[in-house]
Amino acid sequence: MDEDYSTGSVDADREMTRLWRTWRTVFEMLLDRGYEVTEDEVQIPLADFKRKYSDPLGYPDRNKMKISARPTEAMQTKYTPLPSKSNPTPQPDCGTIYVEFCPDSTGVGTKQVRAFNHFVDENNFHTGVFITQTPISPSAVRLLSGVPGRICEHFQEQDLLVNITRHELVPKHVLLSPDEKARLLERYRLKESQLPRMQHSDPVARYLGLRKGQVVKIIRKSETAGRYASYRWVL
Amino acid sequence: MSSGRQVLKTSLPSAHAASASLTRSTPATARQSPPKAGMSRQEQGPLSARPGTDPRHMAIALHHARQIQAQKDAEALILDRILDLVQFPTSPSADPSSPSPDDARAFKSALTPFQPADYDNLILERNIEGLCGYTLCPHEHRKEDSRGAFRITWGAKGSGPGGRGREMNIVPKEKLEMWCSDACAERAMFIRVQLAEQPVWERRADDAHGAHILLLEEERARTQQQGKGKMRSAPSVNEVTGQLGDLHVHEGASSSAVFDHMAKLSVRDDARSQELALERGDAHPALYTGRVDVNVQENSRAAGPVMAPQMRPGDEKGGSIEGYVPRDH
Repeated sequence: MDEDYSTGSVDADREMTRLWRTWRTVFEMLLDRGYEVTEDEVQIPLADFKRKYSDPLGYPDRNKMKISARPTEAMQTKYTPLPSKSNPTPQPDCGTIYVEFCPDSTGVGTKQVRAFNHFVDENNFHTGVFITQTPISPSAVRLLSGVPGRICEHFQEQDLLVNITRHELVPKHVLLSPDEKARLLERYRLKESQLPRMQHSDPVARYLGLRKGQVVKIIRKSETAGRYASYRWVL
Repeated sequence: MSSGRQVLKTSLPSAHAASASLTRSTPATARQSPPKAGMSRQEQGPLSARPGTDPRHMAIALHHARQIQAQKDAEALILDRILDLVQFPTSPSADPSSPSPDDARAFKSALTPFQPADYDNLILERNIEGLCGYTLCPHEHRKEDSRGAFRITWGAKGSGPGGRGREMNIVPKEKLEMWCSDACAERAMFIRVQLAEQPVWERRADDAHGAHILLLEEERARTQQQGKGKMRSAPSVNEVTGQLGDLHVHEGASSSAVFDHMAKLSVRDDARSQELALERGDAHPALYTGRVDVNVQENSRAAGPVMAPQMRPGDEKGGSIEGYVPRDH
């Protein structure tokens, strides 16, 4: 009896720790994308996380784990398109982000995704991030990406266990604002289609939530030149 | 000048044909959104009026854009239908072996644009909901408690090699857990083999593949009426595949009629040849004449008799080389 209880708590502990790492990565992701999150939220210690988000048995309670964050000023300027003749005062194309952890441990299908889409739509969030424990079904993926006017992304918990952008072999990716992009294209006398490309489904692009048509500056270390910058156009 | 005008003359109607005929060739998607079409016509006006643009390019671009749009619409339609079919059957006490006619009809008509892969998605989606993978079955799917990843299934007596013993299969657990019973598995798989492999946006308007789907029960009743059906209570998989063979034979009979039709076709017949091109799917009406506009233009012959070249002063020394006259030695 006693032994059973201890193996259960070891299990719970392990799951809690894994989820804590995912949780921190999510906050680092929000910070890197430019949302308003505090230092304390990003660096939450395991003990605090356990106290806040576990059920009486010590297992994580994913129903409590919901995050919403507003974009910072810097992010808003970055996402504001250049003024044009038809649109002289453009609005920033970003807004409140909402992150939800799906509590179902197996078989996430269209039902959960539909509920999530509905929630995002009803509360007027600009972006939704749906995090599940298992892969979701193909039709659910299609449903998630098909919300008109909103951006819904999906991650698996295990994808976010480790923050890939902190790996030493992953160079720094910096999103260019429309103004910076225009200047880059002018300086090198390029059309955007002449830039090297990067897939929308690239892990770093997914991490940064990049959209089609944006340009990122990739800063690498170079033995000869110190730093080397290259640019990628997101498809 | 004259050639430019000729391009305009030949390809402007085809540009219009591009917009008219695509809706004709993809009626199954049938969701060509009218505001979209209106918008593209607006775009077409100023662009084709701009000097130096070839309306043919516009027609080709529009053709491809419409194809992509049709594909997207079809995918959305299939997704909608999957979501609908997950809720089937309408009554929780329905019997999968004799479904209500309404349900069966709705099921069959909903499956028309499906590919086998979409059907697999439907089964997966139903299993996630806890239902049997066969759409007309209201029961829950099997759940096996033991932990092994594979199961051994035994066939009927005499199904083994050489007609002796029992057939043994090693089946992954998740394949078994898709269904509530073997009968439902058979029914669902019988539907799956009738679906068209080709995606709906590539099918031709007159493609009958996947349009007439039969439930397993209907097929059995049909073969029994024809006196071919063996009166066995539990038909084996072999029998089902045999019935599938029958299906193909019937198709063969109808295709010989098609051959007769083809033989009667005359190349000169304009309406028929358009139909034929549509059926082959090789040429879009806008592109009948090919993508590159070949325009043979004979130069008018120079006036007057042809004269032999004459010597000019300085030519005896070789003349100038691009304006440079070599000095005499």
